[in-house]
Amino acid sequence: MSERPRAGAAAGAAEGRRARVRCVVAATARIADPGDVLGREARSRLPAASGLSPEGVELALATALERRVTEPQLDRLLAWAGDAEVAWVVASANVCTAAARSIALAAATSCDVRVCPSRRDPVVAELVIAALAEDVAYAAAGGRAQLVPALAARAGDQVHAYGSDATMDAIEAALDPGVTLRRHGTGLGVALVAGSDPIEGAADAIACDVSAFDQRGCLSPRVVVVEGDRGRTTALARALDAALSRWGRLVPRGPLDAALAGELARWIATQEALGEVVTRPSHAVAVHDAPTSLAIAPAVRAVLVVAAEDIARVAVLAPLARWIAAFGRDDPGAEAARAIHALAPGARASRLGSMQRPPLDGPVERRESSSVRGAPRADAGGRC
Amino acid sequence: MRSPSADASDALHARVRRAIEDGLDAAGFDALALDLARFQATHVAPIARLVRARGVDLDRATGAEAIPAVPTDVFRLARVAAHPPEKDVRVFRTSGTTSGARGEHALRTTATYEAAALAWGGPHLFADLRPRRAVVLAPRASDLLESSLSFMIDLFIDHLGIEASFHVDTERGALDVDTLEDACARARAASEPVLLLGTSFAFVWAIDATHADLRLSAGSRAMITGGLKGRTRTVEEPQLRAALADRFALAPGHVIGEYGMTEMSSQLYEPRRVPGAVRPDLYRAPPWVRVVAVDPITLAPVAPGAAGIARIVDLANVDSAVALQTADRVRVTPEGIELLGRLPGATPRGCSLAIEEMREP
Repeated sequence: MSERPRAGAAAGAAEGRRARVRCVVAATARIADPGDVLGREARSRLPAASGLSPEGVELALATALERRVTEPQLDRLLAWAGDAEVAWVVASANVCTAAARSIALAAATSCDVRVCPSRRDPVVAELVIAALAEDVAYAAAGGRAQLVPALAARAGDQVHAYGSDATMDAIEAALDPGVTLRRHGTGLGVALVAGSDPIEGAADAIACDVSAFDQRGCLSPRVVVVEGDRGRTTALARALDAALSRWGRLVPRGPLDAALAGELARWIATQEALGEVVTRPSHAVAVHDAPTSLAIAPAVRAVLVVAAEDIARVAVLAPLARWIAAFGRDDPGAEAARAIHALAPGARASRLGSMQRPPLDGPVERRESSSVRGAPRADAGGRC
Repeated sequence: MRSPSADASDALHARVRRAIEDGLDAAGFDALALDLARFQATHVAPIARLVRARGVDLDRATGAEAIPAVPTDVFRLARVAAHPPEKDVRVFRTSGTTSGARGEHALRTTATYEAAALAWGGPHLFADLRPRRAVVLAPRASDLLESSLSFMIDLFIDHLGIEASFHVDTERGALDVDTLEDACARARAASEPVLLLGTSFAFVWAIDATHADLRLSAGSRAMITGGLKGRTRTVEEPQLRAALADRFALAPGHVIGEYGMTEMSSQLYEPRRVPGAVRPDLYRAPPWVRVVAVDPITLAPVAPGAAGIARIVDLANVDSAVALQTADRVRVTPEGIELLGRLPGATPRGCSLAIEEMREP
């Protein structure tokens, strides 16, 4: 008999978690909606805050915001979440919509969500919290969410931190004992065009993944590996150049600051000495036949295309393996796909063209380097 | 059987060494730089690609400014050498980076490197000093063949024919403070000026060894060089200079800055001990090196006296790249070259991998 109330409490808590996540999804749907007051505010503020063009902001809001979640996805998300007294979110700035998923994960973890928004780009975090404040369903599910200026986690809390590895290290060093840190650090995306993939279609899909957020996210492909000979690699690079030009007309790249423009100039000069590079006002594409080491492009819609004439060539990615957070491929059975997966088993695998839209089933990526520090508690039942 | 490229290389080395010995005017500099660039565009694949990509006609070029500068990053991504690896007599390497790649500068002969190092290092480091001994805070060249700094230090010691003690344990990768303190005490007891040479990392270790008495005799001097992010040798911070002077009891004018890098065959120095130097705090390039500040975005020269990143034409780079594009910020004036530190990477934006992160050692 004594088990029954606890089981009932746990079931209720689980339903509360589901309800809170659904409320966050409803909030993001409002932000995605250009007719909603929150959607209008997002479109007004984000170009300045994010550095994306207005068209880039629209693309992000329309395609990358988590506006729906299925029950199986929710099951997986909740299985990831664990339990905490307070779930803190330290948001990052590079992907303007990322705060929405971060808050959804926090809401699944605790009734009490506290968000430290990015100083550079607080917009989506502020709007989600504002929407939750108006949502009676969120309150009914026991949810409380607020913006806070700084992290003040205590034992029993969880911190979900997003940003560079250096930021993760700094946060970890400052945490009290007993606080669980879920690190989401530095990363990049790799795309594979397998031998069986049609070149034009693959190039269009990769251009879509590159153009979203102007390639700033850890899911954005910065390197494209092409199975096949030099001719196929060159053909992919040309098709990608053309596709990125089309994207550049539809969704112009945001302005580059001087530091990024300088990095791009030096990367282009380096690529000129190593292979071939095409530079456009909207993007750059470089091709290497047989690189021994990779010079990763700055995140400004600049892509390095490398040939994998034989599977051994995939090893050139090895020094990057710990940073590979996303892996785009249409043929998971391709030999190169299996090799890349073996190098970066924690990378989020997606089809080409969907790298920036992972389902809402947990954090966007699950590398070991982005894992847990401390011991997250299992679901202990409702304490809201 | 010798290859035609080896013959051409030998002839160019001879011309460069003559220029180092006899001097050369601006026209002679341009002519020799262009001959080197033509040779390299024929025999060094990355330079051939760069020349092609920029559409440069080196046969019609009249000045060194026309030579495409090879970004120093290229040295860690491809071989930049006119000769095959089996002809290497020395390969200098940069320190490691997070991505694992290290820059490599392969030399077919060290003769021109040695001539350049002695011809410019001599008047700046020990023209007015007869050191009897050197105290070295760096590995011996024989223990660390890939270090251009260790190679140069050994060269100076051999040239001066002086006793030297080495105080960096290569195996442990640490400073041996006890033997260093002993060497300093012996030099003090003998009242002999010492030439103090080393890496900035080792100097930092020495400064941190607060229990040790490292004071040197009057007249001693130190050559201070870099060792910051991802580079074997680069610009150093003023604080290190001050702390070094304090720790080793050196007169401020006796701490002499050197600027070099693995990808170069020549060095720049502060003329602190050179009589008549107008600005002893600014670096001087030798006559066979030309430093131009260029815009970080357009890579075109900036207005005279404005800050930019250093494009360096080093005639002693015979078998690699005569023109280098660095990310080191400089201001070039008639009085000398002001080193402003490495160009910072773009501000990291969240979780996206920044290029600078990959370069971090």
